[in-house]
Amino acid sequence: MKNEEKVAQRLALLDGIDLSPADLEWIASEIEDFERMVAELEEFGQDTPWTALQVQPRDKKV
Amino acid sequence: MAAADICELNLTELSRLIAARDLSSSEVVSATLAHLERLEDKLNAFITVLREPALAAAKKADEDITRGQNRGPLHGVPVTIKDMFETAGVRTTGGSKILADWIPETDAALVERLNAAGAIIIGKTNLDEFGHGGTSTLSHFGPVHNPWNLDRIAGGSSGGSAAAVASGIGPLSYGTETGSSVRRPASYCGITGFKPTFGVISRQGSFRGAWSQDHVGLFARSVKDITLGLDTVAGFDARDPASVHQENPAYAARLDANVKGLRVGVLGRFLDEVNPEVRQAFDAALKVLAGTGCELIDLDVPEVSYAAMTSMMTSSAESAGINRRWFRERHQDFVPHVSRGIAAGMTITASEYLTIQRARHRIREALRATYERVDIIASPTTARVAPLLTDGVKGNGDDTRHASYNHSNLLRFPSMLGLPGCSLPCGFNAEGMPIGMQLIGNWFTDQTVLNTAFAYERTTDWHTRRPALVRT
Repeated sequence: MKNEEKVAQRLALLDGIDLSPADLEWIASEIEDFERMVAELEEFGQDTPWTALQVQPRDKKV
Repeated sequence: MAAADICELNLTELSRLIAARDLSSSEVVSATLAHLERLEDKLNAFITVLREPALAAAKKADEDITRGQNRGPLHGVPVTIKDMFETAGVRTTGGSKILADWIPETDAALVERLNAAGAIIIGKTNLDEFGHGGTSTLSHFGPVHNPWNLDRIAGGSSGGSAAAVASGIGPLSYGTETGSSVRRPASYCGITGFKPTFGVISRQGSFRGAWSQDHVGLFARSVKDITLGLDTVAGFDARDPASVHQENPAYAARLDANVKGLRVGVLGRFLDEVNPEVRQAFDAALKVLAGTGCELIDLDVPEVSYAAMTSMMTSSAESAGINRRWFRERHQDFVPHVSRGIAAGMTITASEYLTIQRARHRIREALRATYERVDIIASPTTARVAPLLTDGVKGNGDDTRHASYNHSNLLRFPSMLGLPGCSLPCGFNAEGMPIGMQLIGNWFTDQTVLNTAFAYERTTDWHTRRPALVRT
């Protein structure tokens, strides 16, 4: 998928929110950074176990 | 005692004088409020000042002392809290237009504990909106100014708290930290800032910045004062899912400057781009630590080079989740820069968030192994002194978004991993701006961090310097 398409796909998640052209330009630039960072972090973390996100209920905490 | 002299006393001294009835809480609170009102036009450190309730509470504290009822070291002492904490009957804004007039019905856990300890909350401090920022310029209520130079930022997001303590407006303030929001403003304002291990202080009743990284922390003008403030509010609270069980906190009683043999690691590769004056002050501070008997160890942990972007993306995703509803309904009421950040965060997918957490776990494991070799990791808190207000949100200069040996990774990894960290003054640059050093410990070695800071503080006098503004 082309970069512009990826950005457009993400911006679609903000449908219904009235953002100015300047806002959209800033957000699109941020999204491009996100794309690159996620790719870097995916490679960096690929041999790492998935983390547990469980939290014990309050009366069961040790 | 003259009002100006009262405001120069630290918490330990005030507490002793109030307990001995050499000073009344009413005198102290009146003097502190007058000092606040004299400086506030310059600093903009407060969103709400609680003049009448504070004076009434001080009167009650004095009556209790007369009856022999002293509730501890904070009894009758004026303190301030970041406007992130809910206060029953007092507006709680988060620095946002959205909650500019919101009055909660209940107190945050922190406020409950401060009230129970007899502390006098005199005001709620200014901040970046809901903690989203590192400058304290992103507030609906205007920017906070640095007391050492009013043209410079105080740092954020707990900038109002740091500016207040540095200026003598109360000896103690409580803030929050998600990325670096206690350590950074402490460094920029020349005071001591501490954030404990994740879960040591309850966050119940405070706004969330990013739930997996949010901490409550505190500011003071000495390490001893930090321990007294920490003892008062630490402890398990079932209402905060992150809260941890611990024995009765006794950080003050266990404060010990004997750190002989402690292993202090330095991640030298991350210091190449640090400002030369900051580097010089830090190198001198390391010599002082070595002089106290610490062993200095060179470290290389390449995984830390991913910390800043992992932390930043985690914060973006979590803050978008937290603010999603408000954002959809009234995004135009957020501070514009914060609004854009939330919008961008809303585009991070669930699978991406989990991928980011996997990277975070790798960094966590690398640090776990590192802390088998050292007790403390030391570094300059920030790579440069407080930037000018006119430099804007990029002024901090540490918005790194690449795997790199940029210093900002050192600023970001402690909160992302929940490690205890203390920033304390270690010098000044040629323009008279403070420089800070941070000491980061292993999980639940908060006492070791505080002891090391205490040992350093006892052999230096940086923490005794005050901005000229205080006496003008």
